[in-house]
Amino acid sequence: MGFLAPWFLAGLAAVGLPVWLHLLKKHKNEPVPFSSLMFFERRTQSSVKHRRLQYLLLFALRAALVALLALTFANPFLQSSARVTAGGRKLVVLAIDNSFSMRQGGRLERARQAALRTLSGLRSQDRAQVLAFGAQVRMMSEATGDRAALEAGIRAVEPGDTRGSYAELARALRSIEQSARMPVEAHLFSDMQKSSLPPNFSDLRLGEGVTLEPHPVVTARVPNFAVENVSVPRRVYEPRKVRLLATITGFGTERSTHRVSLVLNGREVDSKSVEIPADGRATVEFLSLEAPYGMNRGEVRLDSGDSFPDDDRFYFSVERADPRRALFVHEARNTRDLLYFQTALESAGQSAFALDAVSPEQTGAIAAEKYAFVVLSDISSLPQSFEQALERYVRSGGAVLVALGRESALRKNVPVSGEGVLEARYFTRDSDRFQTAAWLDPAFPPVRGEDHWDDVKFYQAVRVEPGKARVLARLSDETPLLLEKQIGEGRVLVFTSTFDNISNDFPLHASFVPFVEQTAHYLGRLDDRPANYLVGAYLELREAQGKGAAAEVLDPAGRRALSLEEATRAQNIALTSTGYYDVKRPDGRRELVAVNADRHESDLQVIPQETLALWQNTAQSTEAQAAQGETERRPRQVWWYLMLAILALAVAESLLGNRHLSADREAA
Amino acid sequence: MLQRFLDPSVLANISGLDLVAKTVVDGFVSGLHRSPDFGFSQEFAEYRAYSQGDDLRHVDWNVFARTERCYLKRYRGETNTQLLILLDTSASMGYGSQPVHKLDYARFLAASLCYLAHTQRDAAGLIVFDEDVKNYVAPSTRQGQLFRLLHAVEECQVGTRTDFAKPFAHFLNFLRRRGLVVVLSDFYEQPETIIQTVEPLRFRGNEVILFHLLDPQEIAPTFRSPVLLQDMENNSSLEVSPEYARTDYRHKIDAHIEALRDKAKGAGLDYFLMNTGRPLDEGLREYLAVRQGRL
Repeated sequence: MGFLAPWFLAGLAAVGLPVWLHLLKKHKNEPVPFSSLMFFERRTQSSVKHRRLQYLLLFALRAALVALLALTFANPFLQSSARVTAGGRKLVVLAIDNSFSMRQGGRLERARQAALRTLSGLRSQDRAQVLAFGAQVRMMSEATGDRAALEAGIRAVEPGDTRGSYAELARALRSIEQSARMPVEAHLFSDMQKSSLPPNFSDLRLGEGVTLEPHPVVTARVPNFAVENVSVPRRVYEPRKVRLLATITGFGTERSTHRVSLVLNGREVDSKSVEIPADGRATVEFLSLEAPYGMNRGEVRLDSGDSFPDDDRFYFSVERADPRRALFVHEARNTRDLLYFQTALESAGQSAFALDAVSPEQTGAIAAEKYAFVVLSDISSLPQSFEQALERYVRSGGAVLVALGRESALRKNVPVSGEGVLEARYFTRDSDRFQTAAWLDPAFPPVRGEDHWDDVKFYQAVRVEPGKARVLARLSDETPLLLEKQIGEGRVLVFTSTFDNISNDFPLHASFVPFVEQTAHYLGRLDDRPANYLVGAYLELREAQGKGAAAEVLDPAGRRALSLEEATRAQNIALTSTGYYDVKRPDGRRELVAVNADRHESDLQVIPQETLALWQNTAQSTEAQAAQGETERRPRQVWWYLMLAILALAVAESLLGNRHLSADREAA
Repeated sequence: MLQRFLDPSVLANISGLDLVAKTVVDGFVSGLHRSPDFGFSQEFAEYRAYSQGDDLRHVDWNVFARTERCYLKRYRGETNTQLLILLDTSASMGYGSQPVHKLDYARFLAASLCYLAHTQRDAAGLIVFDEDVKNYVAPSTRQGQLFRLLHAVEECQVGTRTDFAKPFAHFLNFLRRRGLVVVLSDFYEQPETIIQTVEPLRFRGNEVILFHLLDPQEIAPTFRSPVLLQDMENNSSLEVSPEYARTDYRHKIDAHIEALRDKAKGAGLDYFLMNTGRPLDEGLREYLAVRQGRL
């Protein structure tokens, strides 16, 4: 029972009125003097009690009248359980699991056949709906009684590469029950994989009108080997320095030895034998990756000989490239900044970039587009044509790092980004002698690591009006030290000090090398994306908001994954199949994205029967309801009955009250 | 005109019992239009022309000698009755649902009777009693007797419980001359006991009149709800329902009144019920009409 307007229940306080009238004001017990009691008798008290009883009846009527009035205004309703007869309609939901594990041993086909058999028993008045579920639920048909459409829906269920999720199925069943407004009989055709259960059992809760009938296509656990993971750098500059690690896992398996091979572009380049412990995992290491230049399709294969070969291969992509060129523009008389910057860049683990150092006067014939990024190190002036070329370069996705020193302090604006130069601050002239980096933006990749800038002393910095630029680091006197400005598809970083050891002692600290390396990676867009993704992950296509150049994505089957509109607008794309996605980004760069199935799907352990029974019991109506017939709960308003009761009470109260009143009048 | 002042509540507002008694009795006498005091005594009143059949002994022959006409000489009547008023001042007489309670009403009545007796030159006396004799004014026709009586009546206060036996046995000793005895009481006692107590007065040749004073609420009580009643004499209390007061009690009080009336009549006593809700002279007039002006 519930109330549509429960605040009217406050009117129940009015019951106090009859209480006051009858109980508090009922009898005055103060004695009344009378001349003599010789004509009164003791037995009169029974008469008094009788009168009290009558008054109590009147009191009860009045109290009930007030209470019912308050209840009526509160507009109560009852959740009536309208019994649906055995011949009532119901919705039969045929849920077919098409997760990655259903590829094993023809499981999906068995599930389809079982669904067809269940469909054949559908009564004429019932409706049915076909669902396919993995990580998400897909409606394969409408709720209909058309058997042909339903059979087509069942046959249209294709094997997927996603991870199964019973929680998603339960959520979909709850939603269907609410919209269908009739009992739902769900048939689950699945391998009942235990790893598909959600961490929280309550996510499996079914609606009250849902009955679940599982149809397992397997009954016992199947031993299975799988390549669980492959660790490999995304880019290779020196093949002989590459180290590739592959993890091989056995699920419910005995101790055995297997051959693991490294395949590159369809050609086996190396192989090793690995001993896998019982129900455990082992690691295989390949110490070189002789990949040809360009994007390469890598694969680690396991000769397991089990019944589920789809998880015996693990895809990865690797890009073999020479170090990319970067342009370092500096005043010819300043060589220290070049020395420190180049040394730091070459000290990194993989030399992804090679510097071309030029003076401003030499930039006239240089095309900035062929460089991964450009560094302008304390430049006083640039040729107009080169500066305009740099702006176009940045707008189309290029990156520029600007270091400001004594020379550039003479300029009005920061090159390319255009922020106003306010002044050159020489801290050695102040009492503090130097400033330190007081705040670093932890979200900015080049300063995100554990490399501390605490000991770095900045003797000189150029104060810049940030404008629309984002400040990434500040000195202790709030002078911006590092700024970033997004222009078009590209970005400009402004370092308000220099890379020599004159304006600061930054190059002498250990934190300088990772800063330079990470900044170069950031500017050259050598992002930290993994060499492979899991099915269901999302791949970012463009960073800038809004419409830009078109992106192209070819899925593993070679089909375009994006429509024309999506190609110009989509920020990301969902990776739904295993294999290689060929991605062409809006800036023209091509990528090869390797996608693998979630290896939780490789563990073919089934759900215990007890757990399955618990899941079925999350719905109230199971066996008991089947025995008694289905019920349908609907709210039913009862104010009409309450009004009738109030009318009857009012009549009774009037009659009884009139009786008392007439008695009193007669006495008067 | 004076009739409108005789409502007990109006009388209660008149200070001084002499004025109250005068108001009642004068109004009563002037309204009655009879001449109870014309008789043949020594005090001349008027002349009347002789008519056939008149006793020739009453002809004034001196007037006949001077005028040769026969006139009868008439004289103001005189009595020598002794009036003794017994006034009950027990606690129950203090009850009253009206502005005037029973004792006040009895005081008005006693004062009126005293005044009436005084105007007739009768000797009047007063005995005030509850369970004992509280005050006694001996009957007399002396100068100032009326004011002594009225003062005694004025002094009456509500006393304790009623006991007829003890005071009646006591004031039997005061009655040496026969006369008229008026008892003013609410008579909350068994009728047999009352009659047995009062009857000896009658044996001595006295004419005894019982004025039964009852409040309208005592005759026909009306309670709208159950009440807890407390006896004014013995302080006992009892919860009473309106139904009982409306039915059983009325039967009992009516039976009590009837029994008292019958037994009084059987014993040769005059009984008269005085409802304190009625005007004082109305009851008095009715009573005297019954007694045919014998007071």
